[in-house]
Amino acid sequence: MRNKIIFYLNGKRQEVGSDHAGMMLADYLRYEKNLTGTKIVCSEGDCGACSVLRFFPNAQGTDIQNYQPINSCITVVANLDGSSLVTVDALKEKTELHVAQKAMVQCHGSQCGFCTPGFVIALTGLVEEKLAKQETSINPQEAKNCMTGNLCRCTGYKPILDAALTMDLKEAESVKARFFSEHQSEVLNEAFKTGVALESDDFSYSAPKTIKAALDYLAANPDARIVGATTDLGVVHNKRKITLTKLLSLHLIPELYEMKIKDSTVTIGARVTLTEFRHLIKDKCPELANYLDVFASPQIKNIATVVGNIANASPIGDTPPALLALDATVLINGSSEVPLSKFFLGYRKTALAAGEIITGIKFNLPKEHSDFRLYKNANRKDLDISAINLAIHVEWNNDNKETIKEITIASGGVAATPLRFIRTEDFLKKNFDIEAAVKILHSEFKPLSDVRASAAYRHILIENFFRRFFVECGGVK
Amino acid sequence: MSLPHDSAHTHVTGESEFVDDRPKLHNELFVDVFYSTRAHATIKNIDFTEVLNCPKVVAVFTGRDVHHNLWGTIFKDQPVLAVDKVQFAGEPIALIVAETMEAAQRAKQKVIIEYVDLDSVLTIDEAKKVKSFIGDRRKIERGHVDEEMKKAPHQLNGKILIQGHDHFYLESQVTIAYPLEDGQIEIHSSSQHPTETQHVVAHALGLPDKDVVCQVKRMGGGFGGKESQSAPFAAMAALAAQKLKRPVRLCLTKDDDMIMTGKRNPFENLYHVGFDNQGRILALDFELYSDGGAYADLSTSIMERAMLHSDNAYYLPNMRVTGQVCKTNHHPHTAFRGFGGPKGVATIEKVIEEIAHKLNLDPLEVRKINLYSDKDNRNVTHYGQLFKNNCLERLHTDLEKKCDYKNRRLEIKKYNQEDHHFIRGMSLTSVKFGISFTTRFLNQANALVIVHNDGSLQIATGATEMGQGVNARISQMVTSELGLSRDAARVMPTRTDKNANTSPTAASSGTDLNGAAALLAVRKIKKRLSELAFRLLDVPKEKWASKTAGIGTQEEIVLSTPNLDVNDPNEGADWNSGKATYFEMQFEDGWVFHPDHLDKKIEFKYLVLEAYLNRISLSDYSFYRIPGIEFNKLTGHGDAFLYFTQGTACTEVSLNKDTGEVKVLRCDILMDLGRPVNHDLDIGQVTGAFIQGLGWVTTENLVYNDQGYLLSHAPSTYKIPSVQDVPRTFNVELLENDENFMNVRGTKAVGEPPLLLAISAWTAINNALTYLPRYKTSYPEIKIPATNERVLRAISPEKFQVWDQ
Repeated sequence: MRNKIIFYLNGKRQEVGSDHAGMMLADYLRYEKNLTGTKIVCSEGDCGACSVLRFFPNAQGTDIQNYQPINSCITVVANLDGSSLVTVDALKEKTELHVAQKAMVQCHGSQCGFCTPGFVIALTGLVEEKLAKQETSINPQEAKNCMTGNLCRCTGYKPILDAALTMDLKEAESVKARFFSEHQSEVLNEAFKTGVALESDDFSYSAPKTIKAALDYLAANPDARIVGATTDLGVVHNKRKITLTKLLSLHLIPELYEMKIKDSTVTIGARVTLTEFRHLIKDKCPELANYLDVFASPQIKNIATVVGNIANASPIGDTPPALLALDATVLINGSSEVPLSKFFLGYRKTALAAGEIITGIKFNLPKEHSDFRLYKNANRKDLDISAINLAIHVEWNNDNKETIKEITIASGGVAATPLRFIRTEDFLKKNFDIEAAVKILHSEFKPLSDVRASAAYRHILIENFFRRFFVECGGVK
Repeated sequence: MSLPHDSAHTHVTGESEFVDDRPKLHNELFVDVFYSTRAHATIKNIDFTEVLNCPKVVAVFTGRDVHHNLWGTIFKDQPVLAVDKVQFAGEPIALIVAETMEAAQRAKQKVIIEYVDLDSVLTIDEAKKVKSFIGDRRKIERGHVDEEMKKAPHQLNGKILIQGHDHFYLESQVTIAYPLEDGQIEIHSSSQHPTETQHVVAHALGLPDKDVVCQVKRMGGGFGGKESQSAPFAAMAALAAQKLKRPVRLCLTKDDDMIMTGKRNPFENLYHVGFDNQGRILALDFELYSDGGAYADLSTSIMERAMLHSDNAYYLPNMRVTGQVCKTNHHPHTAFRGFGGPKGVATIEKVIEEIAHKLNLDPLEVRKINLYSDKDNRNVTHYGQLFKNNCLERLHTDLEKKCDYKNRRLEIKKYNQEDHHFIRGMSLTSVKFGISFTTRFLNQANALVIVHNDGSLQIATGATEMGQGVNARISQMVTSELGLSRDAARVMPTRTDKNANTSPTAASSGTDLNGAAALLAVRKIKKRLSELAFRLLDVPKEKWASKTAGIGTQEEIVLSTPNLDVNDPNEGADWNSGKATYFEMQFEDGWVFHPDHLDKKIEFKYLVLEAYLNRISLSDYSFYRIPGIEFNKLTGHGDAFLYFTQGTACTEVSLNKDTGEVKVLRCDILMDLGRPVNHDLDIGQVTGAFIQGLGWVTTENLVYNDQGYLLSHAPSTYKIPSVQDVPRTFNVELLENDENFMNVRGTKAVGEPPLLLAISAWTAINNALTYLPRYKTSYPEIKIPATNERVLRAISPEKFQVWDQ
């Protein structure tokens, strides 16, 4: 067992024990390392000012092998075990600015300068991705997508978009080539082979090597929290509503990085990030991939896991309705299974028993002769928590789409849990009568009014999306 | 090509230092602010026992520890820390000082407080009912409103509801206070107004101003939110530093910042308009009401600007506008880019749209017929100021052509007649924004320019840098006057021991005021250098002091006229280069020469050295006051502004009929900025202000609970525009204007005016809704901001009637 976590920061090896491992990375960088280029604004992963680049070389399931931006303000230092980090402070090489920095200067992409380091990191992340794919041009949509997780209040973004589009990729030197040495790779590979146990009076952290060891730890420490990327718990910690004192991380368990599609069944392990997941399914299920584009930010998706979004059991999580509609199955302890439709029991309450761990999730891709669509409404289209979301999956009896064989309808933001509209489904299977179905649909949920939407708005949105689905898929003539 | 922002190269590397980037001293402490969660209540009991028992907690301070507890920019009515009674949710009550920020934040949760609730006022309506007001009702009137209204062929009445708007500067309020020897305090603050911060700190701590220095290096955004409201937080940090004799850092979380600090004032404006068949406005009567929050702050001044901008671009022969600030139990609302302007302009622009709808005319035609014009003397504002350098007609006709308005209008009509689940709208609005503080005494500035021995310069002014590039523009003006590259000068952090009695960097005036002062200062130095260089033409080089061990082998040169008595930066200046033409010598590319003696060029840096050795001053200080501002606040009459910045924007939107979602499809902007010093920095101000304004009119929704406690207090719930909200087509151009002879170098201020152009997005949303059959004979009622939900409510009100029950 190691009693230090190991990671690289701007090419230098860091070993951190329980004294600083419980800090948020942004605080650690700014106050322990004097790397004040990284800024803190919202402490909740919504503005991107704290972005840093992270590469985790041991995520075996994926072919994404480059540095990606993450939010440092909601990432616990301990969770960076095995990662290689690069911060904005190190991008300039002697006197030479990185191409992203150069373009930002030339295009007047910075005004007050507070969000600028975060944008530079987001742009550098895009450059890394392009270099890895050996692509030489950036289109406007890619430019926008790479900075969806960054807020700027001064420029109106136009100058930053100009910067993104004028970055000279041919002149760009890869951060990976510069910072990720052979030696570093060896050290991190070696570290990955050994579990971690940090222990002090007010912070303990365990990262075992096997599922069994994790279960054993959990049995002995029922008060430990299982953490994925802390993109949610980090926020709650920063708002001082909880203290992260005892954490269990699964990041050293190789099989949890599994991701595969076999016979149209998608299986992903607990450590698979949303970005990796999107990459896996983008050709097989473009509807889901597109939906993931308006879910959270690149910074979040680059580190947060799909399973985390399920385990969190938020009633407004973005993946649960989609996965409910695809009738997904939750894999537990690597040995048992629970249908997702039976998993959400109450507000933030799941069927996961004490001492159990979600090890993965699996589902079948939409079949032929079926329509699968996802809808989301929020106050701002991108990087906003849903007011409601709706997923509908219909398998028709024939191509005329006159009768329904199977249907699943699931929604978020309308109840204490993500919700399946079972009665509406049953009705539609018997009578494909939209008007009558709408009435049943409304009777199946009773939403709240809150800061995001009124109950009335939620009712109307669900109805309108429901109707829209059948118009779009041609089920209504 | 425009030079980049002077800090751009350190912004991108993260080297630019903000207050919280300053290294922590080993004895430094952190302070967190405990605040009220009640709208209006007496504090029955407050207990800090548990707080003081928390680990790492050092001290707790309350209002009783403050020497003078009241502060306020216009009226001193607001406690630094509330004692006995709170008047809004978010009102600071106590300071918790600890060895780490986290310890202070966690200890804050242990405060035990008992309130006794009092009746509260949370809306403008309630305030009107109980006559809860701040200041008196103001009125500006011209002509015979009531008589002409009666005679008008058409009349309309209505109301516009405008919500607040959070600044969402990325860097929250932050201060570090360092106690120095002999009771002095040095403040490092993120403030638009270091002088006021100095004064508020000194007053609160019972110190003379001489013992407090405030430094502002830069801000991570200000937008008006750090004009008045950074000062009390500086006082809090300073109080703890004074009491504990240790450096103290106060750095608010985004949540606490949003909950505690005031916003753009909400407004509820009533209008009554009379007009003819062409849509020409004959009489207009506005009643403006704003929500000032619990304390006066700048609200009365903001109301004044709203009243002065209720005409916007239109000549209104008979007009009456009254304005009343309401006192409510909300955070005290404050300056925000545009000040009152956007609220006046939104109201008149809505009126124009509604007139056009009623007469079935294109709103652009109604706008054009009402524009200020030199024809028929339709060129005097309702407050009696002659409107000079009127570019409005050019702006309208040029933009109409550039954006292909007519064809697009036809397309939109056609599209909306077809069956889509989107509906489109378009609107072209303009802005005529008065530049100058309407409070006369604020229109003054001073600047210090230092030329060092090696020929490099330092400039110090009262301007504060918040991203707008005021330092870049000032250094560009100063160095170009001396024929040097901009790199030759550095603009120093703003400090009250160098530039005292300064005005806030606000009202778009930073470059106007401080640039003028700096230019006057450098010309004083240039005057001396010029005479020296001229005199040196007659002295053989080998006799120069610099060539003879600093002593000189001839008599010391004593200048005949070492002073320059010019107070107008444009006097004797060339409009193209901006340089003064009254010097004997020319300063270009680092050289100083006489056109008749090109063989005797002197390098600038050697001339500087020679000046030093001849005991000629290489530093100077200048004072500048804007001439001709004579607005009488009592009569509501006079020249309120030096000049007007003008612009137009045409915005097209699409509304989703299922969800109410608003998408801005295209925006074209044409601005008149006179003769810009830095074209690209100006363009950046335009795009930035427009998108910020777009947030105000669309997605930025402030939601409060029944105690007036802000619920949307972080970016997870308060949605400012993201990159995906930028119009897909977004064209910004500047009008060529070589007819502006006002202001330093003929430039025009740019900071605020383009924000008001975003009102075109809101009127475009209104315009889209009017294509719905249900609005054939009525006009939609939609608040600012027009959130998705509100838009859907306007599209399908009957559906909401079912579910709202």
